[in-house]
Amino acid sequence: MQQLDNQEILMKLKSSKQFWDIKKKIKKGFNDQQKIGVNDIQKFAQSCEIEDQLTNLISHILKKSKKRETLKEDQIDFLNTSKIKWTELLFKNLDIVHQKTKNQEEDDTNTDSKLYIYDEKNLLAFLQTFKQQQSSALYQNVQFQSNKLLNINIPLKSSQQILDKYQYLLLQEELQDEKINKIRKQIENEHLDIELEKIAQTFVPNGERCLLYLKYFEFDHQETILQQNFTKLQKECLHQLFYDELLEIDGHEISEDTFYFVFQEQILTCLKCFIRDKTIKENIRIQLQNGIKKEHTEFQLPITGFFPFKNISKYVAPLCYLSTKIHIIYALFKEFFCRYFCFLHAISSENNSILSLCMQIEEIISTNSPKLFHHLKVIGCDTLKLIIHQLIYCFVGDMDPPHILTIYDQIIGHDSLEILVILCVGFLNKYKSKLLLAKNYENVQQIFQELREDKFQELVQFAYKQ
Amino acid sequence: MYNKKLKWKSDFEKSVIIENFLNRGWIKSQEKEDDSTDWNVYWATVWNVRNIFNPKNGFRLNDQQIINHFPNHYELTRKDYMVKNLKRFKREQDKETYEQQGWNFDFLPTTYIFPGEYSLFVEEFHKCPNQTWIVKPAARSQGQGIFLLRKIQQLKKISGTTVTSNMTQLNLVSKENYVVSKYIDNPLLIGGKKFDLRMYVLVTNYKPLKVWIYNKGFGRFCNEQYTTDVAEIENMFVHLTNVAIQQYSDKYSKKHGGKYSIDALKFYVESAYGTEAFQKMIDDIHNIILTSLKSVQAVIQNDKHCFEMYGYDILLDNNLKPWLIEINASPSLTTTTPVDKNLKLNLINDVYNIVLPNDDFSDNQQKQQQINKIGGFSVLYDESLDLMNRKTQKRQSVKIWK
Repeated sequence: MQQLDNQEILMKLKSSKQFWDIKKKIKKGFNDQQKIGVNDIQKFAQSCEIEDQLTNLISHILKKSKKRETLKEDQIDFLNTSKIKWTELLFKNLDIVHQKTKNQEEDDTNTDSKLYIYDEKNLLAFLQTFKQQQSSALYQNVQFQSNKLLNINIPLKSSQQILDKYQYLLLQEELQDEKINKIRKQIENEHLDIELEKIAQTFVPNGERCLLYLKYFEFDHQETILQQNFTKLQKECLHQLFYDELLEIDGHEISEDTFYFVFQEQILTCLKCFIRDKTIKENIRIQLQNGIKKEHTEFQLPITGFFPFKNISKYVAPLCYLSTKIHIIYALFKEFFCRYFCFLHAISSENNSILSLCMQIEEIISTNSPKLFHHLKVIGCDTLKLIIHQLIYCFVGDMDPPHILTIYDQIIGHDSLEILVILCVGFLNKYKSKLLLAKNYENVQQIFQELREDKFQELVQFAYKQ
Repeated sequence: MYNKKLKWKSDFEKSVIIENFLNRGWIKSQEKEDDSTDWNVYWATVWNVRNIFNPKNGFRLNDQQIINHFPNHYELTRKDYMVKNLKRFKREQDKETYEQQGWNFDFLPTTYIFPGEYSLFVEEFHKCPNQTWIVKPAARSQGQGIFLLRKIQQLKKISGTTVTSNMTQLNLVSKENYVVSKYIDNPLLIGGKKFDLRMYVLVTNYKPLKVWIYNKGFGRFCNEQYTTDVAEIENMFVHLTNVAIQQYSDKYSKKHGGKYSIDALKFYVESAYGTEAFQKMIDDIHNIILTSLKSVQAVIQNDKHCFEMYGYDILLDNNLKPWLIEINASPSLTTTTPVDKNLKLNLINDVYNIVLPNDDFSDNQQKQQQINKIGGFSVLYDESLDLMNRKTQKRQSVKIWK
């Protein structure tokens, strides 16, 4: 664990607006007193809660400085063994995909397009198998509710807690120019992540978003290093990998998107560098696959420790709006993936994991919109099957880029993916009346094929609508 | 609202025009001849408009007729006339006064009109040995006949004979004029690709000048990564943004048609360059539109029966400075994607809501009132307002893009 010495802590404190506010308050408290001892300051600080504020600030600095280790083992054994099974399944899929690509090279008429290792439907189908196993430990003390797709005994935050946490978004109004300028100055002057998180929760002006993200990830004075690292990775891309082919195929969907087609080449370059980046393994917050080294197979896991999956391009695309420099886009993508998006593909009981997010969505819908929940079940279209694409890809492709980046702001603002739960609930509520009229899965598909425009604030409003 | 059975005529079999007429309940003029006059609303070609206004025809539009071009629109929309008028207007203006009003002329690349200005071009050509030039026929469209030039000898393409820099004049094979401009070789690139902007501007009157600007436009992207490599100088898929050219690229997609909405561009420029950078860019674009229109105000034949919807082509360089490429009198109304169709359908609908509110030809109060926004169009400039109100309008013009 990396320890900061007092000097380093003081430097980090001095980069925080809150520190200077506290200092101002102390100075004011003593007016023009000439002799002030440490005991005097301590007494004063205790009397007006400044000591608590300072303690919190320091402990936050220490907490952030602690080098985060990649989570490998889950607290629930069953999920650890499931991760191994999932990895084995993906290795099999990889063999199938490789065979398909070989067949396509030989036979041009064979245009089987399922050239990916897994997609969100495969992942959800795998998570569904947990219920069938009915391990006694897994279902201990859990009332078995057969109507939910996923209902497993993992520690889960209460749905009400999540709904309450984001309720402040309902009150957000359009800000005046004066207030926006104030926020701009705050972002320029602020360095402490706890303060940046507060700004991200409230409002991020488009022109300052990149700076806020860079500061939050502590990249703001590291451009040269980022550029050098990226250039090294680009050189490694000259040596072709099989996965490059899958990434090129993955890019076809993005190349058809009216908002992202201009970035197609940049996205592919970022992804090719990503799967060659040795630092991913030590930076990623959770292990996605159990890195079994298989004997006698043509392919091993990429150096990142996990397989690229369908639509991985979608995670890069919105970030292309933030900078003209590809090494900056890459650095932001890498950080977002290692901190947050990785959880969307991890078999885990962690709060941010796909399993937890899915269960929370099911819980809210089954409780607050039971009619919809039941109706979807009856017509053979589970709630989660409807929403899994939007959840896993953070609504990229469903919302315009400004709204996607507002989602990313909230993710940083709360250091959590829970905002996706709110938006998924809102999404289902928005289309509730049409869904209740649907008679089968085809009807449901037609609803979502119509031209639609989903917006961040709109879905938040719908999430809280009864 | 639309209860008047006006008669319409169109020289274009375009769904976005015809659907708009039908949606209003107007009926098609039954007269089949090109020169038929039994219509109230005519979306005409520029040639038919010229015929209608030709004094030799002895035809006069009545008070219940409206048409989509001014008689001598070419003063603005032919490349050579546009350059000539802008240069003349610049000479006529007192530079200090013009700049004090917040306007400038610094948006036209150095341009020469052939054959007349050939020797001036040669002089400039030699002063800038590493400069690439772009050669365009003055009166053609869709990228036809355009090429990039680095050696004077390349002009053989248009002269038919060997061309040297010693020559004092240039004889052209065809009778048409050409415009030769300094090529802007540092365009703003997004995703490594060059693009230009198509913006729509409606003029309902030249004297006094009244200009509306549409809040939806798009960038037209090249399909190949941009390069200044001399080996690629003839690769039109790198350099020319016309859809008519790019649609033949094997990377062309029918889903987006290479068209990138102005909303997406706005978001990109704000996010990657900052809000102030976007506002300056927009101010500069507004300056281009107004200066170009003012440059022809004195020469355009104003007519109460006429309005004109222009397609402005603007190129941004890598400093976010906009440059005027050309102004189209008949911007394409072909739709290449569903998004494109939606845009152009609404565009034409809004044009008619402005020029013929409530299908009413009379000089009604609504026309004269200070309505600043109709549909996607906002008033950019209204000379009928007093100076104070015009200044207020200018300050508020950036809100069009919020």
